Amino acid sequence: MTIKKKKFDMVTFGFIAPAFLLFTLFIIVPTLASVYYSFTSWDGLSPTVKFVGLANYREIATGARFRNALVNTFLLTFFISILENSMALGLALLVDNVRWWKNFFRSAFYIPVLISGIVSGFIWKIMYNFNFGAVNTILNSIGMGSARQDWLGNPKLALMMVGVVLVWKGAGYYMIIYLASLQSVSTDIIEAASIDGASPWQRFKHIILPLISGAFTINFTLSLINGLKVFDQISVMTDGGPGFTTETIVYLLYKVGFNEGRQGFGTAVGIVLLFIIIILNTIQQKFLKSREVQL
Amino acid sequence: MRRKKLLSLMLCAAMAGTLLAGCGGGTAENTGSSAATQAGESKADAADKADDAETKDTEGSSAAEGGSGESVVTEPTELTFIFADGDEGAKSSMNEIVNRFNDAYPDITVRIEPGNGGAYSEFLKTKESVGEFPDVMEMRDTAVYYRAGMLEPLPDDLVSLFQTTTEFDNKTYTAPLSGENTNGIIYNKKYFDENGFTEPKTYDEFISLCQAIKDKGDMAPLVIGGQDIWHIGFWFHKAYNDQVLSQDADFIKHCYDGSKDFSDPSFKAVLEEMQEIFQYAQDGWVSTPDAQITTFLVSDMAAMMYSGTHMFSQIEAADPNFEIGWFAVPSPDGKLRLVGGGGAGGLAISADSAKDPNKKAAAEEFIRFFFAPENYVVYCDTLNFIPTTVAGIDSHAAPILQEVVEATRNADDLAPMWNVRVGENELPPDFRNFTYKTVVEVVQGQRDIDSACEELNKTWKVSMESFNPLAQ
Repeated sequence: MTIKKKKFDMVTFGFIAPAFLLFTLFIIVPTLASVYYSFTSWDGLSPTVKFVGLANYREIATGARFRNALVNTFLLTFFISILENSMALGLALLVDNVRWWKNFFRSAFYIPVLISGIVSGFIWKIMYNFNFGAVNTILNSIGMGSARQDWLGNPKLALMMVGVVLVWKGAGYYMIIYLASLQSVSTDIIEAASIDGASPWQRFKHIILPLISGAFTINFTLSLINGLKVFDQISVMTDGGPGFTTETIVYLLYKVGFNEGRQGFGTAVGIVLLFIIIILNTIQQKFLKSREVQL
Repeated sequence: MRRKKLLSLMLCAAMAGTLLAGCGGGTAENTGSSAATQAGESKADAADKADDAETKDTEGSSAAEGGSGESVVTEPTELTFIFADGDEGAKSSMNEIVNRFNDAYPDITVRIEPGNGGAYSEFLKTKESVGEFPDVMEMRDTAVYYRAGMLEPLPDDLVSLFQTTTEFDNKTYTAPLSGENTNGIIYNKKYFDENGFTEPKTYDEFISLCQAIKDKGDMAPLVIGGQDIWHIGFWFHKAYNDQVLSQDADFIKHCYDGSKDFSDPSFKAVLEEMQEIFQYAQDGWVSTPDAQITTFLVSDMAAMMYSGTHMFSQIEAADPNFEIGWFAVPSPDGKLRLVGGGGAGGLAISADSAKDPNKKAAAEEFIRFFFAPENYVVYCDTLNFIPTTVAGIDSHAAPILQEVVEATRNADDLAPMWNVRVGENELPPDFRNFTYKTVVEVVQGQRDIDSACEELNKTWKVSMESFNPLAQ
């Protein structure tokens, strides 16, 4: 048997080349360059770049500030992954089963997704304001003045309040994915189950949930990644404060890189974040894929 | 078939070309400027014109003063200009002066770019990193940009316009916009008079006054805009001045050489003073932005604020009938230490931009125009700033500003903020913000003083590895 040598296909190469060149130039090269910069103490401005070996990674491993940012990031990611998906699934079920105004509800729940992260951050920051914000004003007007809080100034609440904004903004997007998945579930199966005497809860638990598990995989992956790289709302609403209570890894990266003139350290934080995302995503994919049902 | 393949290849090439055309903007511009540079005649003309302009200004007949708008450039020139536009007064006065300049010089256009409000220093660094460093800018981290070789030295005739400037290796890179902003207590005079409160003469009297207002319970003694971390700096500097600088003016230098650190008793006293003062702040001070503190004062929600003279115009704009009172808070040792004198910040020209003789001449002319008395008065009066020029201004500022100027004259000590000092007492980049955030943690009770000092020492050690003026 002779193996036919494949000819170099100029046309195929021609189609791939523009994207390949741009991707290499703007993604691959900067990524590789950032690995180099993570071993330096470059300040982001000076023409001189000093090699410092593993010093940046040592600081990451031992520094309290990175540890604090890591904990905040994990807490926020866990919080929004669970809540966003629960809320999105609930909304999708609601929209899927509602008999009238289906399109209205679908659009209404999707509107927050269309607002930019910066704008939504500003809106909520104003609403959370202790003295003039809508939240405390409403509490006051319904006779619950004692429940008024400095929502973004209280170190015990600030991170959670940022999480609420992220859930409010993100749930509509995940709802659309769940809704598409729900609508792809064959009515034959549902009807067959009904005829066999399955209750609505049994139909949901044993038929619908397994059949939309692909949407779970997508949505949990997306919310995990979004949670790990949240930036806009923190920048606008809290600037990482009060103190350092809402400083996440991405915000720390930005602060040290651009504000403190420590691009080398900031890049090292970025590299660590990359590995965290890869590891968590791999674990999550394995777990969720094993639960998917193919018909 | 071959023709189809050829067509496909040509289409691919065209697509790639179209995509890369967007990336080539900078190159095209560079080519343009190279071409201009190669045109030796134009360059020489521009340089000559610039020299002429300098000579003319030295003789005291600048186009800026007369506003005649005599051309200093050989071709229409556009300058990008960025300043800290977080304050409404700064925004309106800068716009006014830029508009006047653009009217007076038809062949030069100064284009204001948004300065991102509060986080100005970060914003400028971000602009630099994406290749959009402005031609002329309000410079705050002068030492950092000077070391990076990004600033153009100002010509002697420009430097001679100012009473004092900050030099780096015998060259001046910034035209100081104002004397350092003197902080003091701005209070509701009517409320004080109605309740028999008087201006305190000692630190203890000040604390007693805060307590008396708190006990009265109708408004908060102090309004603090803690959401903007730099606002915390006003109070921090006061406490730092009282407790640390009063004992060791070279504390930071001694931290660099290792003879002192942030566990020093004097530094712990700073945090204690902050704790004592901040107990009189309004509820929700951590999430209150600086832009909102005027509302607290004029709406009878707080009796006093601690800020700079730029607040006078804001308060007047918010409520023209509000009666403003002002006093300086003495140190616990009885001395009066105030923020004042000249700093290292000011208007600066990008070194990269100055390679183009037209831009250099235009930028220098803009700065001359800005500090011409009839223009500079707009900036100083709007922001209630103390002028820095030798010529001075015919100010129509409020009498309250005269009170501040008087206090600076009688102060036992007048120095710039701890974070704007240069030389051996210059702070590592953003150690300031780390300190302020740690202070907030201490004041909120998230951290005790000892652990805060320990954390500051750790961060200081790390920061020193990348910046140490004693080792340079």
